[in-house]
Amino acid sequence: MEGEMLKGHLDMIVLAALAAGPAHGYAVIEEVKRRSGQRFDLPEGTVYPVLHRLEQAGLLVSRWVTAESGRRRRIYALTKRGGSELAGQREVWEQFSAAIDGLLGGARPRRTSA
Amino acid sequence: MISAYAESLAASLSFDRSLARRVRQEIEDHLQEVVAADATSDPLDAQRRAIANFGDPRVIAAQFAIASLGGQTRKVGATIVLVIAGVFLAMATRLTWYDLTQWAVCEATRPLGETLGLIDRAAFCFAVLSGCAGWACVGRGRTPIAFDPSYHRRLRRFLLLCTLAAGGLVASVVCDALLTVLRLSGWEFSVAFLVPLLSMALEIACASLVVIHIRDIARRTASTAALTG
Repeated sequence: MEGEMLKGHLDMIVLAALAAGPAHGYAVIEEVKRRSGQRFDLPEGTVYPVLHRLEQAGLLVSRWVTAESGRRRRIYALTKRGGSELAGQREVWEQFSAAIDGLLGGARPRRTSA
Repeated sequence: MISAYAESLAASLSFDRSLARRVRQEIEDHLQEVVAADATSDPLDAQRRAIANFGDPRVIAAQFAIASLGGQTRKVGATIVLVIAGVFLAMATRLTWYDLTQWAVCEATRPLGETLGLIDRAAFCFAVLSGCAGWACVGRGRTPIAFDPSYHRRLRRFLLLCTLAAGGLVASVVCDALLTVLRLSGWEFSVAFLVPLLSMALEIACASLVVIHIRDIARRTASTAALTG
């Protein structure tokens, strides 16, 4: 997967990874790898600033917990607003994807009411 | 090795101590987790690889700084509007108190009082308009990933509007202080002085808070620009 393409959708990818439930940064990266069939290998260092930015925007909340190892760990969870944002981005993505499919397949893109 | 890497990342964020502390702990935990999951090589190699995969600490610090700056500017924008509302409440309380106690202005100082009152109202209205415009400037839209020229321009506009709002507010508070001195002069000190004095203290505290916040956000903006430059 092209890195630039991935970067443009980082917010949606991170929100989608957290839709399964609260997780820390490392788990988010692993979840993205797992759910994308190892195709999305996110640049690790860029995921944390994204988590921080989404939290600042009110789409995530975070709290410290103590892991089994004894280290302090930051856990992130979607807020209600984050869930709505993800639903909105999913809808836009589906429309975009359908249009591109139509274009590449030579068929007419499906009209949507959006 | 991991601690040194996390420390160097945190050092780039030294202008925001709580962010630096949080980032250091979080990144250190991540790298330790990666090393623990890497059973293929010796620990030193695993640490080296984990750090290399994580990226340039200065680039990551810049991304954190941009994200943090976005949240801080929104908070400062909202704080300025709330503080202006606080100053208005203090002013309204004092004027109501003067009406209730029928605390008249001395005839000799009335013309000066009227002039100061006009300047006060104009300065306060200017502060309200500039403060609201500043808030609107940063209140909408998500913080961008990069510190691009358009975001930098937006921040400069925000800082200018905040500075104008602070200027108006300070001028208004100075006029209020002079008006309070005019109103209280010639009267013997009593408990009734407490309301005007306390409301003035509140106004001065509010104006100082705005100035401190603006200085802080200007410093953060400069540090973030230096990190991304």
